[in-house]
Amino acid sequence: MNIQQVAVIGAGVMGASIAAHIANAGCKVMLLDIVPENAGDRSVIAKTAIEKLLKADPAPFMHKDNARLITPGNIEDDLAKLSEVDWVIEAVIEHPGIKKSLYQKLDSICRPDCIISSNTSTLPLRLLVKDLPESFRQRFLISHFFNPPRYMRLLELVSSKDTRPDLLTAVSRFADQSLGKNCVTCHDTPGFIGNRIGIYWTLCGLHEAIELGLTVEQADAAISLPFGIPKTGIFGLLDLVGLDLIPHILTSMTQALPQSDAFHQLGSLPPLVQKMIADGYTGRKGKGGFYRLNKQHGGKVKESIDLRTGEYAPSVRPDLSALVEAQKQGFQTLLSHADPAAVFAWRVMSKTLSYAASLAPEISDDITAIDAAMRDGYNWKFGPFELLDQIGAGWFVDKLQAESLPVPALLASKQPLYKAEAGKLHCSGFDGTYRPITRAAGVELLSDVKLRGAPVLQNRSASLWDAGDGVACLEFHSKMNTLDMEIMELIRQSIDKVQGGFKALVIHNEGENFSAGANLGLLMHTIAHQDWAGVAQLITTGQQTYQALKYAPFPVVAAPSGLALGGGCEILLHCDAIQAHAELYMGLVEVGVGLIPGWGGCKEYLRRWLTLPKRPGGPIPPVVKAFQTISLATVSKSAVEAKELLYLGRNDGITMNKLRLLSDAKAKALALAENYAAPQPAVYPLPGKTARVMLNMGVKAYHVLGKATDYDLEVLGQLARVLSGGDTDITQPLTEEQVLALECEAFVELVKQPGTLARLDHMLKTGKPLRN
Amino acid sequence: MKNVVISGYCRSPFTPANKGLLARVRPDDIAAQVIKGLIAKTGIDPHDIEDLLLGCAFPEGEQGMNVARLIGQLAELPVTVAGATVNRFCGSSMQAIHIAAGAIQLDAGEAFICAGVESMTRIPMGGFNYMPNPVLYQNYPEAYISMGDTAENLANQYHLSREEQEAFALLSQQKTYTAQLQNLFADEIIPITTPQGPVDQDGCLRPDSNAASLAQLAPAFQAAGTVTAGTSSPLTDGAAAVLVCSEEYADRHDLPKLARIKAIAVSGCAPEIMGIGPVAATRKALQRARLDLDDIDIVELNEAFAAQTLAVLKAMPIPMHKLNIDGGALALGHPLGATGARITGKAASLLSREGKRYALATQCIGGGQGIATILEAIK
Repeated sequence: MNIQQVAVIGAGVMGASIAAHIANAGCKVMLLDIVPENAGDRSVIAKTAIEKLLKADPAPFMHKDNARLITPGNIEDDLAKLSEVDWVIEAVIEHPGIKKSLYQKLDSICRPDCIISSNTSTLPLRLLVKDLPESFRQRFLISHFFNPPRYMRLLELVSSKDTRPDLLTAVSRFADQSLGKNCVTCHDTPGFIGNRIGIYWTLCGLHEAIELGLTVEQADAAISLPFGIPKTGIFGLLDLVGLDLIPHILTSMTQALPQSDAFHQLGSLPPLVQKMIADGYTGRKGKGGFYRLNKQHGGKVKESIDLRTGEYAPSVRPDLSALVEAQKQGFQTLLSHADPAAVFAWRVMSKTLSYAASLAPEISDDITAIDAAMRDGYNWKFGPFELLDQIGAGWFVDKLQAESLPVPALLASKQPLYKAEAGKLHCSGFDGTYRPITRAAGVELLSDVKLRGAPVLQNRSASLWDAGDGVACLEFHSKMNTLDMEIMELIRQSIDKVQGGFKALVIHNEGENFSAGANLGLLMHTIAHQDWAGVAQLITTGQQTYQALKYAPFPVVAAPSGLALGGGCEILLHCDAIQAHAELYMGLVEVGVGLIPGWGGCKEYLRRWLTLPKRPGGPIPPVVKAFQTISLATVSKSAVEAKELLYLGRNDGITMNKLRLLSDAKAKALALAENYAAPQPAVYPLPGKTARVMLNMGVKAYHVLGKATDYDLEVLGQLARVLSGGDTDITQPLTEEQVLALECEAFVELVKQPGTLARLDHMLKTGKPLRN
Repeated sequence: MKNVVISGYCRSPFTPANKGLLARVRPDDIAAQVIKGLIAKTGIDPHDIEDLLLGCAFPEGEQGMNVARLIGQLAELPVTVAGATVNRFCGSSMQAIHIAAGAIQLDAGEAFICAGVESMTRIPMGGFNYMPNPVLYQNYPEAYISMGDTAENLANQYHLSREEQEAFALLSQQKTYTAQLQNLFADEIIPITTPQGPVDQDGCLRPDSNAASLAQLAPAFQAAGTVTAGTSSPLTDGAAAVLVCSEEYADRHDLPKLARIKAIAVSGCAPEIMGIGPVAATRKALQRARLDLDDIDIVELNEAFAAQTLAVLKAMPIPMHKLNIDGGALALGHPLGATGARITGKAASLLSREGKRYALATQCIGGGQGIATILEAIK
């Protein structure tokens, strides 16, 4: 069965955002809610929800046009239309009676093979199906999305022995391939997996921070970065979720969990938090929470609450140098350190990891499900068991024992939880035996490739791997995957290697971001020595390397995800094809640091506009379009938007599930490898000076309007010179090499300017662009 | 010399670019419907028409290819009626009237349709391929100055405060809205057929404007400037047309005679203060008509910007009761190529309606020009 039409009932934040993400999959979706009393428009709730979605930040839609795929309605007039849909997601209030009465209606209206699922986060499945007919129980499951559904990759699925396997498979397949979700099978236990552990971790952190007398900044810093946990930590996360929800969650978990559960030992809600809720300090949606932005006196001062006194004071960056030093020696040194922040980290993580280990057989089929849930539902870089392996399971158990803390049965053997054997990753079963981890068809991970053998080529910044099926995979692994001369060197070596023994090359990595751009530190060094020839050399080396990649005698397919900025965007523009993850934030952002794209970005982006079949006629529009995008440092907010901006071409593909990216890219590369011929060089009929004058006029108009800065005039003047073709005439088309030479000239001119230096310096120090 | 008369005038509704009801209609289709309407309204035998002279400020794209000829064919004019597209930017369709008047006096035809059109939705200002001459720009950048900057220059030069500009814009809105409420545009508007249904009302008016709402708008062209969207004429879609013929022809065929053309003039001025163009053009025309400004009873002075209109009024005082009595472009809109025909046709019909003797229609032109037409009532 294929899911082609979906309905979501309940247009609250979760229901509406789920509908938006289903629309992101290109699927039609109905969004229904109740008819409010005395409503003029009976579907006003769903309609208002769609309007809010369009304004929400981060954007629930990958493209605002996706809103058109959502049909708003209400459950009184439109329920009969549900006979057409393949999947109904219920996201109404957490009230078993209301849900069950809705289910009864749905069961009589929906087609027999229509799946009905609940997005409940607190109610057990067995309660929701109690006393309902078999026809319903067979089609029912829990599909628990995490907020915000577009960005959180976890989907928890809970089914019963009655649930039809074919329907469960249909939901899993749709969620995986069309929604990009990592589906985790959960047992029917309170809080399922993610929230069971996540809530325990959060509340544990709250209590321990108070007990140890830490500041919220100290606690959040100590619990986040060392473990690859988002820097919101404990208190930032509580502010985000909303403090007012904590009592409800506490009550529901306290009631649902047996007395033996360690959750009960956490204690009741601290008086400070109770007072904060009573006073309306409920987090980001209220007046503030543990953190707040004090906008009094016209400023914006970040403040935090004193956990002892309840008073706000300007936020102080914690001094965690002791922790940082300790962490350099490894987790064991960090977690044994006497610093209160380190003690906090140990207490919270030891309890949480023990809790996860003791619960594992009760809540999941295996430990990989728990690790996946915490990675994809709480944005942890590593799951609890992956962390345990990094800490050292044996050391961890010894420390628990030394402190007379209980040791979970799963850890008693002190064995690692994961191990690689015969080129394959294995995980520990609950019985202590290892079993190989299998991937679904179409899921290939570079981390698995790496277990199979040594890299074909490697230096400090990049590696070339044999990804199987005759495809080589080029991986960046420099800091933030920034591009440096070692990467350029490895690309050139790879071109030779691939010709020798592979059919195609895929450029891919499993970092959060494909590439943050060129390594600016390197450039700063050259500028500091006023080594202009050196700057020119950096540029021409990059240009020549990317050109060599473009004209290599084999197909090159990039598979980017996350940020692909500056030089990282430029390499993508030189590939034969791109298979993009749906969350691709791609852009030529060089003007932000006072530069222009110099590694062929202007050349390739201009070509995309010049050769666009349906572009507006005449010599000026392609130049203007390219100028607009680059001058505003436009970054796509999704792969779909990247297509609209022409960063991606018509034939480039989009993969919703990041785990499928490498496999999809390989397939694309192998398809291109059949009778592959390198592309023909482009020619550039450009208008020359007239277009430069025209573009400069536009920038000046923005400048007098206060929308362009003084130094923008200089930077964009150089950009205008490149994109208009320098001093050429429309009758004298330029070659690629001539456009590259213009890029290089402009780049070198700009690095000589103090304005560019100031921008670069500011970016390296603050991570933000300087508007000078 | 033969007398030349304005025998008829009509126009399409003027609607805001991009969001108005004519945004999805091609400009040649709008103009063709207006011309058909003019022929029906005046009752002229189209076989007698010598030429269709059509003003357009950006004659490219859907306004390209000698669009006057194509519009004649769309309007099903006899094949013998010639067609020429005229470009003097905002003065284009008033220039078309001047060309017709000269031709009639040379016995080079008896009847002309002088029209104008602009879809500022479908053909952007500057056109699709704006290609300034780099040498001219270097030596004389004023040649390419933006219209907003010229308004700011006049506001500075004539010490026109933002409040004065806004008060004038508000008055224009009020006069235009009053005229609309009194149905004073009904007999000049030709309803335009669109795929979404007929359009017969002007769409640019902002009757809800008030001093407070205008004061809140950000400067539109210069961060430290005083000119806002509220004190600038809006980007507009529309067309207008007048029938120009010899008085003998009108008499022979019993056609209406709204007014006689008494004198015409064009004049250049500094491009950076192009908005002052009407002053010199009007002075020339008055001299040629042997009249004083005081002799003029009715003035249609195009309101490109409030600052521009106020600057002209400082240099050339005109009592408010004579000025743009049914409102002006700040409220009604300014489809560049169509405005000259509108204000000349409007001035002519106001002479009849108000029973006055002399009227002046004048406007400023980007690049630094003014154009003026003096009309005389026919007793």
